[in-house]
Amino acid sequence: MKKLSEKMMITAGKVDGQTARLVLFVLSLAMFVIAAGAPEAGGTIGF
Amino acid sequence: MILIIGVLAGLVAGLARSWFGKHPYRVPQVHLAWLVFVAFIPQFVAFVIPATRDQFPDAWVPAVLVGSQLLLLVWVFLNLKVSGFWFLGLGLFLNLLVIGVNGGMMPIRPELVDRLIPQAPPGFWSVGERLGVGKDIVLAVEQTRLWFLSDWFMLPGWLHYPLAFSIGDVIVSLGAFWLLWASGKNYPTLVEVHHEQENQQQADCYDDSVVRR
Repeated sequence: MKKLSEKMMITAGKVDGQTARLVLFVLSLAMFVIAAGAPEAGGTIGF
Repeated sequence: MILIIGVLAGLVAGLARSWFGKHPYRVPQVHLAWLVFVAFIPQFVAFVIPATRDQFPDAWVPAVLVGSQLLLLVWVFLNLKVSGFWFLGLGLFLNLLVIGVNGGMMPIRPELVDRLIPQAPPGFWSVGERLGVGKDIVLAVEQTRLWFLSDWFMLPGWLHYPLAFSIGDVIVSLGAFWLLWASGKNYPTLVEVHHEQENQQQADCYDDSVVRR
């Protein structure tokens, strides 16, 4: 667990702030469009 | 999933724009992004996860859908200054409007359902009922308020991907694309803006001195 935590910290350190912001922004936007839209594909899940 | 294409296409286009223009991709500063996550979770439970969506009562769908989209509208309102959010907000508003005035689900006409799922066994869907486990309710045009905002359109047959969608869906996708595309634009940095202001002030001073002479 400790090793895993250390590895995560090292990986997080490698990702610069701008990339992290971009990933979070794109994720937010993806969640937004899925929740705001209501297309119907083959009568299944509606996404 | 079709809506994600707008996001991915906008991201690729915006990154390419900044790469070819040799300037950094600037992620817009948005406020309270966690609101989107809070709004998304109930829909994820109600419409996406197979284990929960199959058990989810139809009667709860309007509350989840309208409540979630109202929260998204608040988020858009808080970020209206960001380029592209007007589009996102307009698309969301149009979807929310037609969903709200039709009992809390997105209307779809029976003729379109026939084309969407021609293989459906008899009794799989009926007018006035929720369609499958999605966000739509099957309603005849004469029963639908603001029918032109409902899931009225279909992708062309040659795409071999049966999908019904609304004007609101198109505008939301365009908004997401525009937002990500605009982030790849070459905006002047604060230092450049400051230099420009200084140059302008110097030019103004020079003009004044010329006028006095």
